[in-house]
Amino acid sequence: MNKSMIVIVVSVVATVLMMLLLGTIWNNKADQAMINVVPNIKKLEPRSAEWGKYYPRQYDSYMATKESDKIDDVLEKDPNLVVLWAGYAFSKDYNAPRGHFYMLEDNINTLRTANPVDDKTGPMPTACWTCKSPDVPRLMEERGELAFFTGKWSSLGAEIVNPVGCADCHDNETMQLSMKRDYLARALDAEGNEPFDKATHQDMRTLVCAQCHVEYYFKKTDWKDADGEEKTAMVVTLPWDNGLSVEAIEQYYDERKFSDWTHQLSKTPMLKAQHPGYETFKTGIHGQNNLACADCHMPYVREGGVKYSDHKVGSPMDNIRNTCLNCHGETEEEFKQIVKRKLERKDELAAAATDTIAKAHFEAAKAWELGANEEEMTPALMDIRHAQWRWDFAVASHGGFFHAPEETLRILATAIDKGYAARLKLRVILAKYGAPGFEGPAFSNKAEAQELIGLQMDKLVDEKITFLNTLRKEWIQKASHSGKNIYDPVTEVKTFKTSYSENK
Amino acid sequence: MKNSNVMTHVATACAVVMVVVFVTLVYESRALSYLSSDPKVCITCHTMNTHYATWQHSAHREQASCVDCHLPRDSFVKKMLAKSLDGYNHSVAMTFGTYGKNLRVTPNAAARIQNNCISCHAEAVSQMHENSEHYAKFDDKVSMGRRCWDCHRMVPHGLPKSLLSTPDNLGVKEF
Repeated sequence: MNKSMIVIVVSVVATVLMMLLLGTIWNNKADQAMINVVPNIKKLEPRSAEWGKYYPRQYDSYMATKESDKIDDVLEKDPNLVVLWAGYAFSKDYNAPRGHFYMLEDNINTLRTANPVDDKTGPMPTACWTCKSPDVPRLMEERGELAFFTGKWSSLGAEIVNPVGCADCHDNETMQLSMKRDYLARALDAEGNEPFDKATHQDMRTLVCAQCHVEYYFKKTDWKDADGEEKTAMVVTLPWDNGLSVEAIEQYYDERKFSDWTHQLSKTPMLKAQHPGYETFKTGIHGQNNLACADCHMPYVREGGVKYSDHKVGSPMDNIRNTCLNCHGETEEEFKQIVKRKLERKDELAAAATDTIAKAHFEAAKAWELGANEEEMTPALMDIRHAQWRWDFAVASHGGFFHAPEETLRILATAIDKGYAARLKLRVILAKYGAPGFEGPAFSNKAEAQELIGLQMDKLVDEKITFLNTLRKEWIQKASHSGKNIYDPVTEVKTFKTSYSENK
Repeated sequence: MKNSNVMTHVATACAVVMVVVFVTLVYESRALSYLSSDPKVCITCHTMNTHYATWQHSAHREQASCVDCHLPRDSFVKKMLAKSLDGYNHSVAMTFGTYGKNLRVTPNAAARIQNNCISCHAEAVSQMHENSEHYAKFDDKVSMGRRCWDCHRMVPHGLPKSLLSTPDNLGVKEF
């Protein structure tokens, strides 16, 4: 035996052993790949039931969002809102959101989307569908983003037929969470604190929700199609360039002199806050502790020996033991009381804000009527604009009273402050024009308030019902016979529930 | 002379092959990643998927990673020794397929975990710690004589922690 022989023997033995070990590692990796295999679902398949074949627990729990079916008429609860939104469609109809299952139904049924008679009529642009359906990313993919954002809401009625579902948040090839709406990535990058390509899995458990639960506006964007034809798109855009706070977004809109509408009574260039859930949540204690929306709204639940994420997205208060109690030591009853009190605090300040702002609108209308000029009015109107924007930002952020109570109450306080600042300025103007004691008209419910601003509700409802019985039915017919395999009858809502009723 | 020359060449070739296979092995087994404390390392193999997913959905997620509970934290040497011991056991079990669907900690690991429970929750258990000597011992290996998780059974992985319990956990597939 010489040295070479020893080296050969040792090398061969070691190599053989290592090869055997490598073999088992490759075997285990093959097992792992098998475990991670996902079913063959078409890219952007809009019908959630197709995904549900492979993920029955997730699908069944998603379908259980049906249980949240109560219509909660917010205008009835606080008729001041009718005045606040005079001249804007929200004064006609505004309900608290129902379960995800009803998103499309409620968007179609609301008086705000009115009564188009064909694909070129109606008040709303296609952008109003953006958050309602997995058919939206499908259309964006098929036609291009700008083409999707061009045209009337009614032009896509036969294409958008599934309520928000699996394809809105999941990638068909990996089942990983993925964002299907590019405007969110653009806004995150513009804002800068959390660029989209740095998002972790934990971030994605919030960001998929932020595709919709954010403040946005429709930005007019000119573009040319393939034939060189000039078109104008209304592109959903998140106003985050200056930051996520109510002041930063207010500044964004002011810099651009953007307004959603001119107020019917006070002639103020108004802003409508949408639902800045993400922006508000981020300022709260749960957001700061790196919780994700899914941690409380989609808790890990057990069914027999299997655990999965509950897709019945709704109030965590319905399932305190699987949500709050994961981290906190109080009892369910204590939690209910704590949260109830938080809501009461918000409601108290919100009512003070709407009362003040509604009065300011009436007082501004009176001042105009008496002959006040624009120069005199502008400072007061800017206060009204900012007051209402802030109140709206605080209350439209669903759950803001809980997600970030301090921030929500702070914003409401500044809304009340600005509301009174407006009224003080208006009082000086009214005094100058001989009406120092003017008081706006009284109203005690939604119907009276709507009459006061001249809404012909009977007519609006009749027109809506006609639309629902004609064009809406045609949409469903078209979708189910289009041969595109996009319509699933299971998405049909059996019980018609709205804030208005037909029997007039 | 000529013969031994050939032998030298063969020996060199064998040694080179051995080195190449060794490097491949290190690469394929991600051996160096095991020096890190990133929880993702613990799901390099699929075996720990359930434990990762249940921890990722638990309150401990923000405070304690895998190694914060499962390895000693009082000295680097002890930590590395424990890591090597566990690593060896895991490698043997993976290679020969000797593990079942339900993994349990070894007595050695249980003692480490218990010490870590106590070190973070020292104040909460201080009185219990003093009283413990008066009570019956259920497990001599762990400090205070009874495993914390005999009662706190849900912490942090929850009751069902079989390898089949969490079939759809997404965070695990992040690689």
